[in-house]
Amino acid sequence: MVELFERLAERRPSGRVGADSKLGAVALASVAVVVGATLLQVSFGAYPLSLGEAWGAVFDPEVALSVEAWRAFLLSGDVPSWFTQQQHIVWNIRLPRILVGVLVGANLAVSGAVFQIVTRNELASPYILGVSDGAGLVVLTVLTGFSGLLPFVPVLAAFGGGAAFLLVYVIAWKNGTSPVRLVLAGVIVGTVFGSVQRALFFFIDDLSTVMSAQAWLSGSLLNTDWGEVRIALPFTVLALALAFTVTQELDVLALGEETAESLGMPVERMRFAVAGIAVLSTAAAIAVAGLIGFVGLIVPHMVRNVVGSESRRLLAGCLFLGPALLVGADVGARLALSPIQLPVGIITGLVGGPYFLYLMRKTENMGEV
Amino acid sequence: MAGSDGALGASRERATDRPESDSTASGTALDADELVVGYPGADEPVVDGETLAVPAGEVTALVGPNGSGKSTLLKGLANRLEPDAGRVLLDGRRVESFGSKELARAVGRLSQENTAPDTITVEALVERGRYPHRGFFESEADGDEQAVDDAIAMAGIDHLRDREVGELSGGQKQLAWIAMALAQDTDVLLLDEPTTFLDPRHQLEVMDVVGTLRDESETTVVLVLHDISQAARYADHVVALRDGAVYARGDPDSVVTAGVLADVFGIDADVLETEHGPQVVPLGPADESR
Repeated sequence: MVELFERLAERRPSGRVGADSKLGAVALASVAVVVGATLLQVSFGAYPLSLGEAWGAVFDPEVALSVEAWRAFLLSGDVPSWFTQQQHIVWNIRLPRILVGVLVGANLAVSGAVFQIVTRNELASPYILGVSDGAGLVVLTVLTGFSGLLPFVPVLAAFGGGAAFLLVYVIAWKNGTSPVRLVLAGVIVGTVFGSVQRALFFFIDDLSTVMSAQAWLSGSLLNTDWGEVRIALPFTVLALALAFTVTQELDVLALGEETAESLGMPVERMRFAVAGIAVLSTAAAIAVAGLIGFVGLIVPHMVRNVVGSESRRLLAGCLFLGPALLVGADVGARLALSPIQLPVGIITGLVGGPYFLYLMRKTENMGEV
Repeated sequence: MAGSDGALGASRERATDRPESDSTASGTALDADELVVGYPGADEPVVDGETLAVPAGEVTALVGPNGSGKSTLLKGLANRLEPDAGRVLLDGRRVESFGSKELARAVGRLSQENTAPDTITVEALVERGRYPHRGFFESEADGDEQAVDDAIAMAGIDHLRDREVGELSGGQKQLAWIAMALAQDTDVLLLDEPTTFLDPRHQLEVMDVVGTLRDESETTVVLVLHDISQAARYADHVVALRDGAVYARGDPDSVVTAGVLADVFGIDADVLETEHGPQVVPLGPADESR
């Protein structure tokens, strides 16, 4: 995969056609990875299927074209009674996990790209402005003191993330903000919230609660089903649609505040709005999968290396590559140490670290957008 | 260039001695009136009570030592800094009354230092100058393509069009940025030290663009220059600033004199009359007791 990207990056016949065809290549490769990972995920497990059977089950027209089935999936109706056991396992247990992975991967990658532009820092991630810390604190609080609120954890975590983002903005504000002030405020909020969060661990008596808190903080797709799809899908569609309507604004923001203002952009308002879109997108991912690291950091990087920095192409590339990386990593998370399942965030970290090492060795001016 | 015909009709002759006296809306593009601007949080304003009339369709150069308020005055003219007192009129209308994109369609400003993402093409950078001409959901407006082509041609960077910004030299980058500002297609263009840090050839290329704007278009240009000879050669008007105040103004011959150089810059210099306007030969720092 990395080699493929390297080769694509080296063949850099500039201009529009070249960049668009490279974007096409990224999209195709990503779709191939997702399909491959899907077949692996569907065929392996306690109820094994051959790859052929898996293919047949995934592209089973009886289910895929059934209004009744989709109503059950998306509007939480009853699963049709005619489902065979195989259809039930594939469509009700294994496929939703992949679908959640696709949504989460797309959200993290696109919001990471947006945050990198807003903060003008290539090393920014979707968690840079406090979103993860706010969400994590809320989750730990619920687990320690308010277990009655457990069913609402996804939504509460998203709200916690949003609140922390607003707090970061308040701290950073002094006659307006700047990328550096925002990042510093993010560090401040992250440090304090992180400490409180770790302190809360000591108030949990029950080991299994600690385990589930850990899994959530590492980011996991374990036990995700259509319920998670239903939570994430509307916000994902909304956030991503909004992100793609502001690509022109992102392009201008990337030129720096002074230039953006000279071009007639109300920079402060626009930056807040754009960051808000990215926070919505991040929150949708956090709500269903916890804090999966590195995807939002490395995917925009990889895409930028291939298609360049124009926001429309960058976001489009992230939309494809994010799901590919996350769903691919989840194959490893679920099957590598079977029957023990690892949180997918651990795999993405294991992949992400070396990729950055490789990038650091290869490029001299890393860190500049 | 809508709405500016009246303002531009007035003066194409090389005017001498036409400073603040005729600040009627017909002869001036930008009027700063008792302008006081400074930075938020600083006690003292940087530019204190300045009155300046920028003649329409001509090139005005601001010169002065470091910290004399040139860039600040430029920001004040472009409504990038809120004035503490006074006002700036653009074609007779207060600049604050313009919408942000509306102002950006009338006044372009290129700041001293600019950074673009390395992996966009020059063409993509220039296209971003069209931002103020587009609506929120519009990805391309009428005339975009023509304006981008014209700007690239005028900056003389056709051969760089498909290159990535990160591959360019400092001088080439500056020309690309100037093309972006040209694509903005404004009646007034403010350039903050466009030639500082460039090698002689690229300085000349940049100033050639300014010369083209002066001779072949009706654009009003205000630029900050460190090179006084450059100001003398390319500008119709030179304004010398000292400590946030206008010390001298007028045509190059009247401003670029040994006396003004000693007072404003604190240097002893010979000023030679040449066919390219007055040229400055700096001799050494002047005595402090001036």
